[in-house]
Amino acid sequence: MNEKLALSDEILLSIGKPERYVGGEVNSVIKNLSDVKIRFAFCFPDVYEIGMSHLGIQILYGMFNEYEDVWCERVYSPWDDLDKIMREKNIPLFALESQDPVKNFDFLGFTLQYEMCYTNILQVLDLSGIALYSKDREENDPIVIGGGPCTYNPEPIADFFDIFYIGEGETRYRDLFDLYEKCKEEGISRKDFLKRVAQIPGMYVPSLYEINYNEDGTVSEIKPLEGAPAVIEKELCTDLSDAYYPMKPVMPFIKVTQDRAVIEVMRGCIRGCRFCQAGQLYRPLRERDVEKLKEYAMTLIKNTGYEEISLSSLSTSDYSKLNELLEFLIDYCNEHKVNISLPSLRIDAFSLDVMSKVQDVKKSSLTFAPEAGTQRMRNVINKGLTEEDILKGSHEAFVGGWNKVKLYFMLGLPGETTEDIEGIGDIANKIAVEYFETVPKEKRNGRTIEITASTSFFVPKPFTPFQWASMNTKEEFLEKANITRKGIMSQLNQKHIKYNWHEADASMLEGILARGDRKLSTVIYNVYKRGCIFDAWSEFFKNNIWMEELENAGLDPMFYVKRERTKDEILPWDMISCGVSKEFLWREWERSKQGVVSPNCRQACMGCGGANYGVGICFQPKTGV
Amino acid sequence: MEKLRLKFSKHGPIRFLGHLDVMRYVQKAIRRAEIDIKYSEGLSPHQILSFAQPLSVGSTTDGDYIDMTVNSLESPEAVMNALNEVMNEGIVIIAVTALPEKCVNAMTSVAAAEYLISFREGKAPNFNLEATMKAFMEQPEIPAIKKTKNGEKTIDIKPLIFKYEILDDKIHLLLSAGSANNLKAALFIESLYNFAGEEMQEFAAVFHRVETYLAGEDEKGHYVQPMIPEKLYDFSFAAPGKAEMGKIYV
Repeated sequence: MNEKLALSDEILLSIGKPERYVGGEVNSVIKNLSDVKIRFAFCFPDVYEIGMSHLGIQILYGMFNEYEDVWCERVYSPWDDLDKIMREKNIPLFALESQDPVKNFDFLGFTLQYEMCYTNILQVLDLSGIALYSKDREENDPIVIGGGPCTYNPEPIADFFDIFYIGEGETRYRDLFDLYEKCKEEGISRKDFLKRVAQIPGMYVPSLYEINYNEDGTVSEIKPLEGAPAVIEKELCTDLSDAYYPMKPVMPFIKVTQDRAVIEVMRGCIRGCRFCQAGQLYRPLRERDVEKLKEYAMTLIKNTGYEEISLSSLSTSDYSKLNELLEFLIDYCNEHKVNISLPSLRIDAFSLDVMSKVQDVKKSSLTFAPEAGTQRMRNVINKGLTEEDILKGSHEAFVGGWNKVKLYFMLGLPGETTEDIEGIGDIANKIAVEYFETVPKEKRNGRTIEITASTSFFVPKPFTPFQWASMNTKEEFLEKANITRKGIMSQLNQKHIKYNWHEADASMLEGILARGDRKLSTVIYNVYKRGCIFDAWSEFFKNNIWMEELENAGLDPMFYVKRERTKDEILPWDMISCGVSKEFLWREWERSKQGVVSPNCRQACMGCGGANYGVGICFQPKTGV
Repeated sequence: MEKLRLKFSKHGPIRFLGHLDVMRYVQKAIRRAEIDIKYSEGLSPHQILSFAQPLSVGSTTDGDYIDMTVNSLESPEAVMNALNEVMNEGIVIIAVTALPEKCVNAMTSVAAAEYLISFREGKAPNFNLEATMKAFMEQPEIPAIKKTKNGEKTIDIKPLIFKYEILDDKIHLLLSAGSANNLKAALFIESLYNFAGEEMQEFAAVFHRVETYLAGEDEKGHYVQPMIPEKLYDFSFAAPGKAEMGKIYV
């Protein structure tokens, strides 16, 4: 038995949830050190329960460990109680499986899922004893590599990384590992290794790009050095059905956020909502074969013993064989006492039937994401959902016995008017009216309609048609939340409508980092040095420190947030391509200003550029609008 | 339908799992092992499974128990083997027995638990264990401060200490356990330090559960007996030669 633990009993017994740090979970992989050539520490820079819920790491962890010469282990951000102890006692950060210090590894990989985790990257590097800046690292330090959605604009954290992997991890890691082994054998320096890495498709080595600026702070030039490519194209897994899928995911001992077996039904999305970054980054849509998915579900249930399974994708209702898959799962899961955790499906007769079979109608709720309060605004953002869809879906659900409705909206969308904001209250009220008209008093059995409307603040993201758009300031956001609240209060059925809104400070910072440039790395470094970590957690987020350090660096938050970009501006992330052309995004930006909707990829092709990958929805016959 | 009782040991890093997480772990293992366990009726069915006695985080055990009800089985041993097959190192099922159909579940039948308390390096008490223990037990009443939901109260733990001895700088104990008169080993050691007038260093004591016992009665009086009397350690109070048929009269 592996008795070795990096932390003493005294420490483990004095911190919260010691199970986060002891490893040994079912399906975690232990290898013999003498059998491996590459040790890879894979980090999700947030607390264990969040990181262990992420499917991407499970995929790459399983795939890497299938390679005989590679041992991949996991690392998460120590929670602040342990963080303090490790600093006090100079305990180096360790990987869970071997409990060995991360500093001894060949690679330290970060998955970058949201901007607010950036200071946690520095926490992990710092606790590991690895220099924070790439340029300061020593020959034997791990190669620090990042992947995931934030790498599509990695500029604010570019100085902390040796490599960014642009795109889906399934395709190029083997090439990278082969090159690493070769360079190690040949005794090639870290710097020369990175130069060679830049020649592998999908690899962005930020130190090989010189960024110059105009006087107004915008980028004047992105200059590749040492033969690095001018543009790094996203890597894409072209055969999803035959791609590696983890049949033995690591199973946490403690309850984590996503505590269930997951089958990924497809990647990409046909919808083209103009605010949505994921909808562009993962194009084109590729489905997994339904027979494969059935097999995965059965094997996963057998291998894990999970009592719940869920389907994962950006828009599961669009999976072409969803009926077949769900019918199979309902039967199989019933027999094996497994719950099905449904993603939010488009509400129609089919989904209501499925929901009534797998959920308790009295407890569960309907979810709609109209995202905006009026049809005009929904056309601007290309969200296909109409008021009629919502009311018709609600009507059918109320007949079926549901009485709880959740509504999701965004505030601060480009071109938003007071009328659009007030529309949020209107639509919530209409749903309540629909309930009272559909369900007569004698059939309500003491229950009534409960509507929850939530708004988040819109943050423009790179590689969306809104990447050029102006983002609202905190004051504007709060004013809009207030208008929304008043709009709801003025409704006849207001006592049936609950309203929640997000914090504005965090959205502002997310906006700065999402479209930020390399100048921000100093700010991230300085706020970290002043104690900022876990910025994604409101109890830890210290907005004033961020604002002070932006000012100290001579940077104006409004430059990143408020400023509408022009067509000819060089964007900080222009060295990266997600397969969707800038011309297409600009066309969509223009169409949005005119309130013109665009068909989805199943209806017609808008020529985004995704077809260049030669796979998926782009090569299926179109249904027309 | 058949009721089974399983005995398990827990060692290594997995000792840092809390009781609820151990339960979740075992539930999943049962599903992986494809044991035909009985589920409760109702909208969210759960496995008919009962743990004898929770063990505090950080402690190890060689004698903890689970009762389960199965719809069908090849043999009790097959259930044990199937479970051991799918569990990772740390928790091992070491014995199994079929229970009579009418049998109170593990949780309610526990009467005593046997512990070995040792001390972490450099954290042993300064007082003489043997002598202090003797004087401690000679008190007419042994006060201990028990923390409850409603605050603290002082209780007499003397009747809850069934047996004790000092074994190579370790304290070997048989304490009352179960839902009614439970004495935690941690409370015992706290009380001993208080008696000795010494401040216990943080995390000084290491707790190991040796065995868990049921109550019984015969012509000789009340006794306790291991829940499955198998694989007893030589030093166990119920070890052959020390107690007849594993019975310890209390």
